[in-house]
Amino acid sequence: MAHIPDGFLSMPVIAGTATASLAALATAARRSRAALGEREGPVLGAVTAFVFAAQMLNFPLGIGASAHLLGGALVAVLLGPWAGMLVLFAVLLVQALLFQDGGIAALGANTLNVAVLGVGSAGVTYRIGRAGLGETRGATVVAAGLAAWISTAIVGLAVAAELVLSGLVPLQPALLLVGGGHVLIGIAEAVLTGLLVDFVFRTRPALLARRTPAARGDRIRVVALAGAVVATVLVAVGFASSQPDVLETALARLASPVGSGLTAAPLAEYQSPVGGLWVAGAVGVLAAFLVAWGLTIAVQRRRP
Amino acid sequence: MSFRHLDRFAQVRSPVTRVPAAGRVFGTVVLALATATLPAGAWVQLGLLAAVSLALLAIAHVPLRVALARLAWPLGLVLLASLALLVVMPGEPLARLGPVAVTAQGADRFAMVMGRAMVALLPAVLLVSTTSFPELLQGLRELRVPVAVATALGLAYRLLYLTVDELERLQRAARSRHAGGGVTRRRHLITAIAAATLGRAFVRAERTHAAMLARGFRGTLPLLHAPVWTYRAVLNVAAVSILVLAVAASARLP
Repeated sequence: MAHIPDGFLSMPVIAGTATASLAALATAARRSRAALGEREGPVLGAVTAFVFAAQMLNFPLGIGASAHLLGGALVAVLLGPWAGMLVLFAVLLVQALLFQDGGIAALGANTLNVAVLGVGSAGVTYRIGRAGLGETRGATVVAAGLAAWISTAIVGLAVAAELVLSGLVPLQPALLLVGGGHVLIGIAEAVLTGLLVDFVFRTRPALLARRTPAARGDRIRVVALAGAVVATVLVAVGFASSQPDVLETALARLASPVGSGLTAAPLAEYQSPVGGLWVAGAVGVLAAFLVAWGLTIAVQRRRP
Repeated sequence: MSFRHLDRFAQVRSPVTRVPAAGRVFGTVVLALATATLPAGAWVQLGLLAAVSLALLAIAHVPLRVALARLAWPLGLVLLASLALLVVMPGEPLARLGPVAVTAQGADRFAMVMGRAMVALLPAVLLVSTTSFPELLQGLRELRVPVAVATALGLAYRLLYLTVDELERLQRAARSRHAGGGVTRRRHLITAIAAATLGRAFVRAERTHAAMLARGFRGTLPLLHAPVWTYRAVLNVAAVSILVLAVAASARLP
């Protein structure tokens, strides 16, 4: 449910998200014009038309299901986040006005989720990936896939947060159904984006070369943003995890002897011996961040 | 491929089509906002706003069956999205569906969300039925949508048919060669088709840009026909907006 229909959001959420989207779009329009110049109109028009057309293609997933591209990460990779935001806003606008896919009153919220947070986070993740992994074909594909997965998950979390703030649903079901659903959808989006970027890299690398490489100052900014993203995801998971998860339920039902032999986790059930949930969350965030940082350094050292 | 089937009533002369597109978009946004933000339990106001939308559809000569047919698909999506409300809301159980219970609070919220969504969709159906895409674009530009977005939409509208036709040609060519048997090969084939379409879209963008420069393009598309606002059109938009806002405000009176 990335496109929220009308009737789901409260007035303060509609007003707040519309204001935030307007501010972000104004910045995006300025930055995009600076980056693309007078080529902006034709390039944005072509990519907008492509995103519409690509959404009509169903990719087989191999389990009797298929998925279509959402396109946020792809446009962030091809055009950069600012121009990408404008493309996705154009797509959302047409979907709301012509096809009634997503509400007109909820357009601000949908723009904030899909165009601003979705494309923005994809752009940031892609930059982190390229800064950390390098600019080889494999690194570019992995960075694009990762950007697609993280941005889809962030879109899901944003939708869940807006539904909760509107007082429509309680926090846990919103996070599990909407946030969790998008984490799964994000896997398909990551695969599709990765495949497309791989093909573009092999056949038309000039399309990707338009992007400027990340500077050292950017790395500090993207690392800070990455920390914020990881923190948000982990705290959200912490909130959603007071119920047993699928694995725990399955183990409980099977009364598996294997389960009883497992070593207890140091921060089981997100509880720390000192400070409870929040300290456990902070330790988890730090640990995840250190692991990611370590992996990045290791990959950088292996690079020739 | 074309959007022509959407704006079938754009050429029908009516008080709605005599209002410039910016006025129609503005009225649609006001009606959708007023409906979407009605507080829970405001059934009378919801009924009044539905009556306003239905009256506007009748004035624009859009048959009710056409409007209902166009509502079916988006309303189906809303239904799918809101079904979970029946069971995730804690409260007094009304009925049991296997392991989950439908609660009274959930049913109440589900009914309000569905009602608001349905009534908010009506003005969108009216807008799309009575406004051609170029008119809509003109309206958006008058309402100060960023120039880049309006220009991109205008060009995307022209390029979309070509892009989709190209996509279909590539798919037809692949089918005629029996390419893409099996899931993995099919996945690679569709990726290749999508990537080829993307490459061609960029080439077309460059060609279009060169052609536009040759015709004196300086960053914005010119308007061919300036919209004409008559006093009657202004009065009609103002009257409908004031009526709608008054109905919405009455739902918040103590």
